[in-house]
Amino acid sequence: MIEAHIRKTLSTANGKMLLDIQLNIKKGQFVTLYGSSGAGKTSTLRILAGLLSADKGQIIIDKKVWLDTEKKINCTPQQRKIGYVFQDYALFPNMTVRKNLAFALEKGQDKLIIEELITIVELEELQHRKPETLSGGQQQRVALARALVRKPEILLLDEPLSALDIKMRSKLQDYILKVHRKYGLTTILVSHDVGEIIKMSDEIYCLEEGEISKKGDPSAIFTNDKLSGKFQFTGEVIAIKQEEVVYIVTVLIGNNVVKIIAQESEITDLGIGDKVIVASKAFNPVLLKIEK
Amino acid sequence: MNILSGHISDILVNESLSMVSIRINEHIELKTILVETPETASYLKIENVVEVLFKETEVIISKEDTNSISIQNKIKAIIKKIKKGVLLSRLTLNSEIGDIIAIITTEALDELALTENQEIIAMIKVNEIMISR
Repeated sequence: MIEAHIRKTLSTANGKMLLDIQLNIKKGQFVTLYGSSGAGKTSTLRILAGLLSADKGQIIIDKKVWLDTEKKINCTPQQRKIGYVFQDYALFPNMTVRKNLAFALEKGQDKLIIEELITIVELEELQHRKPETLSGGQQQRVALARALVRKPEILLLDEPLSALDIKMRSKLQDYILKVHRKYGLTTILVSHDVGEIIKMSDEIYCLEEGEISKKGDPSAIFTNDKLSGKFQFTGEVIAIKQEEVVYIVTVLIGNNVVKIIAQESEITDLGIGDKVIVASKAFNPVLLKIEK
Repeated sequence: MNILSGHISDILVNESLSMVSIRINEHIELKTILVETPETASYLKIENVVEVLFKETEVIISKEDTNSISIQNKIKAIIKKIKKGVLLSRLTLNSEIGDIIAIITTEALDELALTENQEIIAMIKVNEIMISR
């Protein structure tokens, strides 16, 4: 169980912003922080990890106090049982995959964990190679394994998959879910990818300018249960084109690109990159079996 | 999207489908069929105010009122404005429940010789209407 209430004044490109976040995350939950750049997502992770100090606050993990600014308690990052994966893999370039993992071992820790992690994230073939010879996805698998060497209770993932292509992302998502479940981790992910969030998380916290604007079930947040249409998807607008008396809006839904005929009134406040709900009735689509 | 507001006047349920009637004003009631029931959708309650949504491309135009057609939702209207394109044309229809937009093919527009200020019937199939609370 993570109970945290943290406050910190951050300097951003648009001046000072007060980060004021309260988290109540049950043990074993997979939670996503979602919001635009500069909303305070990464700072929240860094404060949880002890890499950034809070002005004021408390972090209590399973009744253990990691931070209490009033009582002047502040555990070091090493004392906090946390695994952290960044967008850039931050591996040691001069060490093999295996040595990168071994370097993370605590003094006197059983080396068996290295074998176990190598098997789980399927690095057997790659274990003697140096990071520079690996693809982005492979390097991120190594970074994920390395973050788990010290058997953390909490896994923090700061947009770990945003540099990867869609196919590799989906594979890495499966690895992350696998270790999340196997080790009973409490995981906090920072992500912008709606599909990824719905696939992976139990709960989502939406951050806006340092505060939580919404929280809840991801599919309820991203789909519209107030609308009767049963054929609903969330996607991202990638193009809007006027043709004759209508507009053709191209929307990326997962890996698929779809096109929707829209009217001027529907596109007036719509721009490229906006997230949209695409809805139709269950009566309209047809099904075609794909021949094997 | 055409959006009208009304209140639910009738709900007929069978298994997981519901046929819902929405009264828009004292003369006009629109019907929709949904894969929802009052048990799965809390907004399905008699007297509840809901929005009725349908796409402009789903509006059918007829020059005469006919009973020999399977379309249940019919609204009398006057063509206020026609914007003609090469393949598609956009009609603004003025009805007693407000303006409705219809997109039809320019071929159909020409074949029916539709003109501004003409009285027509706008029709929408029940399975093309969505509701939103």
